[in-house]
Amino acid sequence: MLSSIIAHIPDWLVFFQAAIAFLLPVGANYLYNILNAWGNTGRFTAAAAGRNAAHKDKTALSASQPSPSSASGTPFSGNYAADLQAIRSAIGSNSDLHFREFPLTKLHTKGTLIYVDGMQNDRLLNLRIMEYLMFEATADTLASPLNSVPAMPFSDLTAAADLTAFNRSVLFGHAGLLIDGMPHGLLIELPGGANRSVTEPVSEALLRGPRLGFSEVLSENTSMLRCQGFSDGLELKSYRIGNQMQKDLVIAYMKDIVNPELLQEVETRISTIDSDFLAESGYVEQLIEDNWLSPFQQVQNTERPDRVISALMEGRIAILLNGTPFALIVPVTFSMLLQSPEDYYERWLPGSLLRMLRFAAAFLALMAPALYISFISFHPGLIPTELAISIIEARQGVPFPSIIEVLILEVSIEILREAGIRLPKPVGPAMGIVGGLIIGDAAVNAGIVSPFLVIVVAVTAISSFSIPMYSAGITLRLLRFAGMLFAAFLGMFGTILFFLLLCSHLTKLKSFGVPYLTPVSPFRLRDWKDLFFRAPLSLMKRRPAMLKTQNDRRKSKV
Amino acid sequence: MVRRTVIVSLCLLFSVLTSGCWSSKEIEDLALYTGLALDVGEPAPVEKEFEEKGGTYSKQNKVVATVQVVPIKSASGSMDKKGGGGGGQQKPYSNVSGAGDSILEIFRQFSIRRDRPIIGHHLKVIIISAELLKRQTISQLMDFVMRDNDIRPSTMVYISQGTARDTLTSDQPNEIPSFHIMGMIRNQSRTSKVLSPVTLARLDALTYSKRSFVLQNLIKGDGEVEFSGAGIVKGDTGHWIGFLNQEDTECVAWLNNEGKAGAIKAYDSSGEPMTYEIKAMDSKITATADGGCISFSVKLSSEGRFIETWNDQDTSSSQEFADNAGRIFEAKLAKMMQALLGKLQNEYQCDAAGFGDKLAIQQPAVWKEVKDHWDEAFSKAKIEITYDLKITDFGSFTE
Repeated sequence: MLSSIIAHIPDWLVFFQAAIAFLLPVGANYLYNILNAWGNTGRFTAAAAGRNAAHKDKTALSASQPSPSSASGTPFSGNYAADLQAIRSAIGSNSDLHFREFPLTKLHTKGTLIYVDGMQNDRLLNLRIMEYLMFEATADTLASPLNSVPAMPFSDLTAAADLTAFNRSVLFGHAGLLIDGMPHGLLIELPGGANRSVTEPVSEALLRGPRLGFSEVLSENTSMLRCQGFSDGLELKSYRIGNQMQKDLVIAYMKDIVNPELLQEVETRISTIDSDFLAESGYVEQLIEDNWLSPFQQVQNTERPDRVISALMEGRIAILLNGTPFALIVPVTFSMLLQSPEDYYERWLPGSLLRMLRFAAAFLALMAPALYISFISFHPGLIPTELAISIIEARQGVPFPSIIEVLILEVSIEILREAGIRLPKPVGPAMGIVGGLIIGDAAVNAGIVSPFLVIVVAVTAISSFSIPMYSAGITLRLLRFAGMLFAAFLGMFGTILFFLLLCSHLTKLKSFGVPYLTPVSPFRLRDWKDLFFRAPLSLMKRRPAMLKTQNDRRKSKV
Repeated sequence: MVRRTVIVSLCLLFSVLTSGCWSSKEIEDLALYTGLALDVGEPAPVEKEFEEKGGTYSKQNKVVATVQVVPIKSASGSMDKKGGGGGGQQKPYSNVSGAGDSILEIFRQFSIRRDRPIIGHHLKVIIISAELLKRQTISQLMDFVMRDNDIRPSTMVYISQGTARDTLTSDQPNEIPSFHIMGMIRNQSRTSKVLSPVTLARLDALTYSKRSFVLQNLIKGDGEVEFSGAGIVKGDTGHWIGFLNQEDTECVAWLNNEGKAGAIKAYDSSGEPMTYEIKAMDSKITATADGGCISFSVKLSSEGRFIETWNDQDTSSSQEFADNAGRIFEAKLAKMMQALLGKLQNEYQCDAAGFGDKLAIQQPAVWKEVKDHWDEAFSKAKIEITYDLKITDFGSFTE
């Protein structure tokens, strides 16, 4: 009895292997937790959210309320000379700052216009404002019958709350006005710094669709959103983010569609951003994303107002930052990375075809080199015989194992791509020819790589260009190398392991509470209409179920 | 904390690094064999010389295995394909022979002669010489190739009248003979003299059930190979017992309902040849058992075209002419069928045309009684054949 049981107990080697098989994922998980905890310092957490919220001032643009004063500024003394002196001593050392003192003839008093070079229209400043102030302004206009702001004929006129805010605004580009006898400094004229014209979005070109792209000016961008259609549902909420240099940030949503919990979550994360300066919306993206260790982006960035507005209509939320043409869309799911607005602008059959093509291209871009390595180095039986023979013939001059061979060509292609971005436009095509000739033909002739690999790498490169989101393309480029290593270690088995690992990671990943792989997992059949293929518009009667919107009907009659 | 993290990450790293590129074999360091020929044991000249110098091991030389290895290694890889257009018509394959008693052992003997290990994933054809199959049974010879899990069950098995390894040679400069043989079955759509290939998967079932079957026969003549009829392997012994000629093979295909096309040539009353092109062929075998007497009635039907005649006089398309010609073709077909049945029932006494299957399906009770001595029972069975040839058209011609 006992001996028959003992006969079935495996030897130590099996136990050792079992221990490794158990400890490997446990160890990986342990490492992940440590890294995650370490990287999360300085980012939002649930506990920090409530604490920091009080420090940030927020304004609703729709309410047109002047921003409440922050407690830290020194107040105006009310004395013209003293205030002017205070301003001079605070910011007067800037060489581009102009103090223009002038008399107000009708009032028999004097004032100073303070402005920064190049940020105001000089002609307007000279002709209209100075002329008005010097010769037309009367005591009535300075009196303030309605509110704290004097009745002067400027569309943009606010009273600065304190000296610090006044200084900041002047340096940001507002024209500041200080008048003897007025208790507050006034801010007239919005800043009008150097600006470019609105152009077609470069990173997301479409054949069919609006040619309009966001610009660097936040007010222009928000106006582009407003211009998309008549609605009182579009709500914009403004924040001022940054410790050292503050920047305007706007979150946009459709107030009768968006899920309030999602909105609450976005507001919390935005308000807990603790950074001295946000140079680009990428900063915001990285500070509010769920998992900073994931290779996949959990926030979508776009230059296209039409893309933003259709995301808003699905119940998503957009985040726009001043100074960048890239708006952020949250939450994002995996399928969005492979969708292009054109899918909806074209008819549904070509739209569906192109979308499925993109899924195939994404798979190729991710897996093609890994499959090549596993076929060449591990599974010669899986290649059709004639092809196997020609591969053997082609590779007989190649001195490297396939992983090295693939790495050589892949790395040089990536270098070529990286160089191509930075090249001046006239040199670009020449570089493409040189790169194509040298890397493709010469490398084969020199016997460094096999001609078959050139095809694989070329297909991979072309496939990765067909992904509509640039940042998703980078993710796949990165993961491709990981896939190649897995394939080099364990062949097809490793490639499949790599794919499963990706799948399990994606299943666990969430973007603002929405699982990344919806509607595949969790399974929502309703949303499959807009996943691999795009159903006709007449069938898409409801908004995506994954966003749990307040109002999920897209049509007046369902 | 930091130390523990470092230790954990080192453990993870080492578990990956120590495994290395597990079981990685670059494809260019391997040699594929696409054909295998089995002959009676008579060591090849190379091996004889080895043996004279003492390169031998204990064996009885029961079989000679020849593998066709592609592609052969060229000195400068892919480079010389462009440059040396006229430089020596080198054959794209090389045949390696070894004598011994076990096929696997012979394969492993190749490993001490060659620079690249041979792999069997791409084995396409196996050719066994009839002489060898007379001495050894088919299941003995095929045991290794059926057990080996590199070799695919789709590998095709042929028999050869002469030396099997000769069929794996070719005079054509850029042709690999095993691919040529494999490709020849495409002609099944043109003539039923090409039988459906017996794959290892089919062979496994046939040998296990101890049924007699036919293997396509390969003959070699002046640098070319030909499918010439078929060799019969008797089920209960597993040995080759004889050949069927090409017309017999056509009839076997028709009886088995495997044929798709072909031609029947006959001579008309004035002795000029005329030809019937088979566009459709069908056979229906009905088995009846009356007491101890088993009989089959076979209905062969065909549709086709009157495609060729050398007689200038009778270019008629009348129904009468068609009936007349049809009778002549039917008579020719009947002659062929009787010849086949004569061989199967009297000369070889074995059922290689699938009559047993029909009996097993239609009369299972009778089959159970006779299946152990079916070949004998078959030779006594009565077979009646009715023919129904229909000439549907006469092609295009001016009257």
